[in-house]
Amino acid sequence: MALLKGTLDVLVLKTLSWGPMHGVEITTWLESRSDGKIDVTDAALLQALHRLEERELIAAEWAITDHGRRARYYRLTSAGRARLRAESTALIDHVKTLTAILTARSAEP
Amino acid sequence: MSPQRDRDRDAFRAGVRRPFKFPLFTRAAARADADAELDAFLAERIDRLVLSGLTPADARAEALRRLGSPEADARLVLRRSAQRRQRHQWLRQAAADLREDLRLAVRRFAHSPAFTATALLTLAFGIGANTAIFSAVHGLLLAPLAFPNGNRIVMPMQENDRYRGDSRFERRNMAGALIEAWQQRTHTVEDIAAASEYMFSLDADGTIDTLTSAVVTVNFLPMLGVEPLVGREFSPGDVVRHGPPNVAVISEALWRQSYAGRSDIVGRTVTLDGRPLTIIGVAPAGLNIPLSHKTPPDMWVPGALTDAVDGGTGSLDISPSVFALLRPGVSVDVASRELESIAAGVPNAAGLGGRLRVMRAQDFVNAGETRALEVLFAAVGALLLIACATVANLLLARAWTRQREFAIRGALGAGRRRLARQVLTESMSLALAGGLLGIGVAGLTLRVIVALRPPGLDRLADVHIEPAVLLWTLVVSVLTGLSFGCAPAFFAGLHPVGDVLRRETRAGSAGVTSRRVRATLVVLQIAASLALLVASGLLVRSFAALQRMPLGFEPRGLLYADVLIAGTHEQRGTIRDEIIRHLQSLRDVTGVSIGVMPGKGWLGGGVEAEIDRQGHTADVPALGTIMMSPGYLRVARIPLLAGRLPDSTSFSSLGPGGWSSEVLVNRALARRLWPAGRAIGAHVREKPFPGRPPAPWSTVVGVTSDTRIPGESGDVAAYQVYTIDRLVGEVPFVVRTTMSGDDAAPIVKRAITAVDPHIFARPILSGDTYLRDGLAPTRFAMSLLTAFGVVALALAAIGLSGVIAYSVSQRTREIGIRLALGAEPSSVVRRVVSGGLGLVALGIALGAAAALAATRALSSMLYGVGAADPPTFVAIALLVGAIALVASYVPARRALRIDPAQTLRAD
Repeated sequence: MALLKGTLDVLVLKTLSWGPMHGVEITTWLESRSDGKIDVTDAALLQALHRLEERELIAAEWAITDHGRRARYYRLTSAGRARLRAESTALIDHVKTLTAILTARSAEP
Repeated sequence: MSPQRDRDRDAFRAGVRRPFKFPLFTRAAARADADAELDAFLAERIDRLVLSGLTPADARAEALRRLGSPEADARLVLRRSAQRRQRHQWLRQAAADLREDLRLAVRRFAHSPAFTATALLTLAFGIGANTAIFSAVHGLLLAPLAFPNGNRIVMPMQENDRYRGDSRFERRNMAGALIEAWQQRTHTVEDIAAASEYMFSLDADGTIDTLTSAVVTVNFLPMLGVEPLVGREFSPGDVVRHGPPNVAVISEALWRQSYAGRSDIVGRTVTLDGRPLTIIGVAPAGLNIPLSHKTPPDMWVPGALTDAVDGGTGSLDISPSVFALLRPGVSVDVASRELESIAAGVPNAAGLGGRLRVMRAQDFVNAGETRALEVLFAAVGALLLIACATVANLLLARAWTRQREFAIRGALGAGRRRLARQVLTESMSLALAGGLLGIGVAGLTLRVIVALRPPGLDRLADVHIEPAVLLWTLVVSVLTGLSFGCAPAFFAGLHPVGDVLRRETRAGSAGVTSRRVRATLVVLQIAASLALLVASGLLVRSFAALQRMPLGFEPRGLLYADVLIAGTHEQRGTIRDEIIRHLQSLRDVTGVSIGVMPGKGWLGGGVEAEIDRQGHTADVPALGTIMMSPGYLRVARIPLLAGRLPDSTSFSSLGPGGWSSEVLVNRALARRLWPAGRAIGAHVREKPFPGRPPAPWSTVVGVTSDTRIPGESGDVAAYQVYTIDRLVGEVPFVVRTTMSGDDAAPIVKRAITAVDPHIFARPILSGDTYLRDGLAPTRFAMSLLTAFGVVALALAAIGLSGVIAYSVSQRTREIGIRLALGAEPSSVVRRVVSGGLGLVALGIALGAAAALAATRALSSMLYGVGAADPPTFVAIALLVGAIALVASYVPARRALRIDPAQTLRAD
């Protein structure tokens, strides 16, 4: 399933709301939560992470993974948390509206 | 606390260590970081895929597939996004650091208000004076001709070899035939226009005003690249040959002053010298094209080139000022050569036979008067230098008291670079705040400058603090901040922490380097202020000398009126006599005569003459002649040095165009033409025109003193007796009054115009005004330089007393011991003061040397005093020395208040 424009950022923020993760953890979590239906290439994900970091919605730090490898860990900043709240509310409203229209059974309101 | 925030704070899992920290401050680092991240990502991916059962090769292929694009492409994209991110982070970091530094700086300044106020005021004066003078320099020197084609306008003029360098003999005027030849044949010049200047009486709605007006060829204004603000330009049809002009374009200034900028100005009729004239347009402001007067014309009227001597107001002068517009890219030299070769082919074009010279019009604007501005510009440079030294001194003194703070901060991890940056931030914010205040100071200074401006720098009134000037202030402030901030910044991190903290209780070890730097700064300040004061001292002496200058006549209470009389010879004669009678009847008038204001050149310029030298005639180029009636010398109070006045028969004995049979010469002319001293009895006459019979010889019967006015060089002149036959509708009167000339001028003007309503008196000029205007350039430069010099000396005194006070505070212990051991307090003070006086002596010596070099540039502004005038140098050196003595004695007296017991207990 291709993503709607702009939703990847919200999904990444949501993922990171559970705690700091590195890139592979993020994409793995997204895959598992969507039963593999969300299809984001790894390059796009990494780019999105850089973009979010540039806007100070997330912060990054190099650390060692459980497997003993170096990885760049990302965590949500408070600005990112606020953005997540706002964006997810807006997105859910949007989807509700779309759903209401697309599932309408009659032309009369 | 919400659970969410809790998580936020405890962001990294307990097991995660953080051994790597990348300083992401370069592009390369950002790129390496992006590469490392991609590699780590792929490795982790492959690890996980292998764990799920794939072979390493399959796992790698799968990982690359999931990347979504070829690895190399993905790497490039990620490097770019990482670099962009890094740039943003760097900017944010820099801004945050700056905010922090500023916060620290402001807090620190607030803690020491006395220091801050002193530093700010010093900087405000230094930068403000600089800004004010730069405004003037910018307005007058850098952008002298503020109209579109200003930098391409040149002025061809003829040089007289004999009087090269004396601008009064330099003719920039040329015959019409030559101008026409140029117009037809030139390839280097786009257009040639000519202009002559006149003074007119303008009768606008009943109020008569005198104004400067220029008769110009119709292409003159378009050639400058200006378009009328309102109305239209001249067209060829506007030119009235052999008659007065009937249309005019007025200046923006006149439009605003006299017509309040009303848009219905076009089509209005005014009366110029009694003739009606229709205004057809308004020229934009800033047309300060250099004509003969120092102020730009108020009005332009169209005229045609003519060779007629008396063309009337409808034609240009026989020898107008010529202006040419260079084609783009053509140099002045190339145009000059071409115009010269064309001129060579025009008969009689050579005029007085001088060499042709083409000059940029912008170099001609106020060429003489701008010297004052250049000198002042150098002076404010010196003043700024002194201000910088003062503030650097203050900052250095603080830097030493702050050594402990810096040492501790250094020990806690602040890098030397960080500390230096903080010190620089402090000096920069100080400098910029000083610059901001300086703009206020500049505004005030500019007002003073405008109020004091000499007539030659009249355009100063239009000078404002413009954006370019503010840019200059910014640059000056930044440079200032850097220059006085560098020394403290350098010393900020210089000392090893241990050293500073260990000697914490011993305040006496300020460091030899610092003391030397501060001493050097004080020497510099004293030297620069001495140089400034010497320059101002020389000007003060010049001013005094100018006031005492022998003038050869009495300008105070002498008025000069140039009156236009219409009518036949007989009518003009009657009106003239009527005016004289009327003026003589005035209560405060003691004498009336015909003649010009002495010391201000000749009426109508010089003539070519010849003298009889033992039977041979010898040429006398450019001889000034002054027409007078018999009472002239008495009214102007010009002493007759030898001989007698012309005989009364001399008035009636001359033929048309000839001179009176008996003439006077002034002493300078007598010495020039008859060096053997046999002027009286010698013969002189006007050089006959080619093909005309010579006029009869005139005999020199007397020698008068030379007359001069400050600012003008003495005239070389022959006086000849005036007769009505020489009248061309224009009579010069001099009037002696018992009042001041300024008060009498309106009375005399009313008296003249009361004789006949059709008389137009050009502005009544008083000798008092001439005298004042002649002194004005010197007074202008003198006042400002003296003000700058006094500020400079005050700053130097502050700097010196700071150094002495500091050295006393540093030597408290030593002084305490000395006093405890029985030293006389006065000998202690003497020791401290003598340390300061060494600096003073060095500063005075250096300053005197600098002044010797610098005042040479001043020599053209000096009168009656040499650029290396010993009394001035000695007096200023003594003054500076005395002030320095006081400045070091006052803080040195603190040593007397030192209580030995307390000092020793303190450690």
